[in-house]
Amino acid sequence: MKKFFALTMAMVMAAMVFTGCSTTTDNAEATENTDTAVSEDVPVIGISQYGQHASLDNCREGFLLGLEESGLVEGVDYVIDYQNAGFDDNIAQQIAQNFSAKNVALMCGIATNSATACYAAAEDKNIPVIFTAISDPVEAKLDSGNITGTSDKLPVEEQMKLIREIQPDAKTIGILYTTSEPNSVSAVREYEEKASQYGFTIEALGVTQQAEVLQAADTLIAKDIDCMTNLTDNNVVGVLPSILEKTNDANIPVYGSEIEQVKIGCVASAGIEYVALGKQTGAMAAKILKGEATAEEMPYETVSSFETYVNPSALAEMGLEVPASIAETAIDVTVTE
Amino acid sequence: MNAMLELCVSTLTQGFIYALLSYGVYITYKILDFPDLTVDGSFPLGAAITGVLLVQGVNPFLTLLAALLIGAVAGFVTGFIHVKLGVRDLLAGIITMTALFSINLQIAGSNLAIERSIDTIFTSGPVMLLMGNASLIYRKFVVALVIAVGVKLILDWYLKTKSGLLLRAVGDNATLVTTLAKDKGNVKLLGLVIANALVALSGAIVCQEQRAFSSTMGTGQVVFGLAAVIIGTTLFRKMSFMKATTAVLIGSVFYKACIQVAISLGLPANLLKLATAVLFLVILVLGNKQKGGEEHA
Repeated sequence: MKKFFALTMAMVMAAMVFTGCSTTTDNAEATENTDTAVSEDVPVIGISQYGQHASLDNCREGFLLGLEESGLVEGVDYVIDYQNAGFDDNIAQQIAQNFSAKNVALMCGIATNSATACYAAAEDKNIPVIFTAISDPVEAKLDSGNITGTSDKLPVEEQMKLIREIQPDAKTIGILYTTSEPNSVSAVREYEEKASQYGFTIEALGVTQQAEVLQAADTLIAKDIDCMTNLTDNNVVGVLPSILEKTNDANIPVYGSEIEQVKIGCVASAGIEYVALGKQTGAMAAKILKGEATAEEMPYETVSSFETYVNPSALAEMGLEVPASIAETAIDVTVTE
Repeated sequence: MNAMLELCVSTLTQGFIYALLSYGVYITYKILDFPDLTVDGSFPLGAAITGVLLVQGVNPFLTLLAALLIGAVAGFVTGFIHVKLGVRDLLAGIITMTALFSINLQIAGSNLAIERSIDTIFTSGPVMLLMGNASLIYRKFVVALVIAVGVKLILDWYLKTKSGLLLRAVGDNATLVTTLAKDKGNVKLLGLVIANALVALSGAIVCQEQRAFSSTMGTGQVVFGLAAVIIGTTLFRKMSFMKATTAVLIGSVFYKACIQVAISLGLPANLLKLATAVLFLVILVLGNKQKGGEEHA
């Protein structure tokens, strides 16, 4: 037992050596870890992003823009410690513990698993946590406490209205989703509940991992669907270009869930613009930093308005066109690009 | 509080909690010579059970017992498929792991969150009685330490019993077990049961610590376990006084420390895994060099 204790202590000391800090520094500041030389007073914002992904990247960019637009200056009012968990829950946990140990002023969790890890690590110290890109903060139990943020819940009804505008005769919408992604499961549920109001039936097909998505796409196409719609499902969106090859051959239009998907060939989308979502989140974070409000007081926000994105060339390939009813308000992604 | 000290404490805590998983992998991989992939499924299985029971108001310590039991069942299934149905070891684990993915979803849904108002093993019972004044991070540390060391001591004791010796014999020399008129299949089965019970216990504690279950939390756990076992046993293989279980415990802490170092170095975030891999390699090579270096990690 003694030996064991000695070894444990040795490990502690070794870990301290590795992290390059001497035990004699009593100061809780976190200078050793951030790239920029930080003076003690500048609050650190720890950003924990769940993985590398266009939408999540946009969220982060937007978040930084939101902070700046609120009048805060990086390096003066705050510094950023950005970490990416590479879709690994264990790493997300360790990132959050790192932030907590360094006593950051604010943690920002991008996507559910990172936000959950941040909130767990902040439990004892009550460090405010702000999240973004979470579909259902209530179900994730992140809706109360010293935490707030923005939800990226899909505008399911807007999407179905849009599909009805573009394909007045369509009956069946196909959806591919991952059964282990809570966001997808709840979105599919909402589609199934509301489809009949818009005269659709939903043909949803679940997969458990990315390797199965293309097989599932073949199955879905064979089921005589009139179109497909995407969720914010990472596994499915990750192989979207290959899905689009298959659907283009079968002449089935695919609707995206956000602008990036329309850019790479989906016909249209009533969707979220993640940079805007990030900005909204950044503005909330700025309020917390300035002391204007606490995370506890602020309820979480959803996207206030949705944009309609269209890709006219992708539509034309399917023999469709932008209906006059939406032509004016819709954003042509091939032009803005 | 000293940030560095706190970082060390939370890294050690992680290492201790995941050491339980590493003990399990040690039993299957090192002792039984059985590459058991059930781990990726039994880890979240333990988390799912404890999560669901906690939400229903069950005592957090009892939920750990439930996790142990259900993990044992998972190990039994793999063992049964391999020993009784004659499926190859790797495939038997893959089958159970795949099945468990769906079962975990059935038990707990895709994600489960445990509100702060619900007590966990770190915030209730004897823990609060003995050190209610300590901050949560130290409570977590002590609880994880006690569990990791306690399980280690029990395991050390067990491996010296008759049953434990048979277990060790199966991996080294299966014929010996047969000549002792024992069924080597049953011994393997027992090993898998113990191993996966420990893995599920580890998952359950992670769930309580994180206050969350996610169906993807099992991904890559077997790789972690293998790395911890190999790092531990490689680094300390020349130190004959040290028990293998101790080496595995340290290997587990070591792995978590490597990741924490990589995070703390402030490298570009996307290079995190590469940095971790390089750290491993450097340390293993250095460890090998110091001790002669003729063997491979």
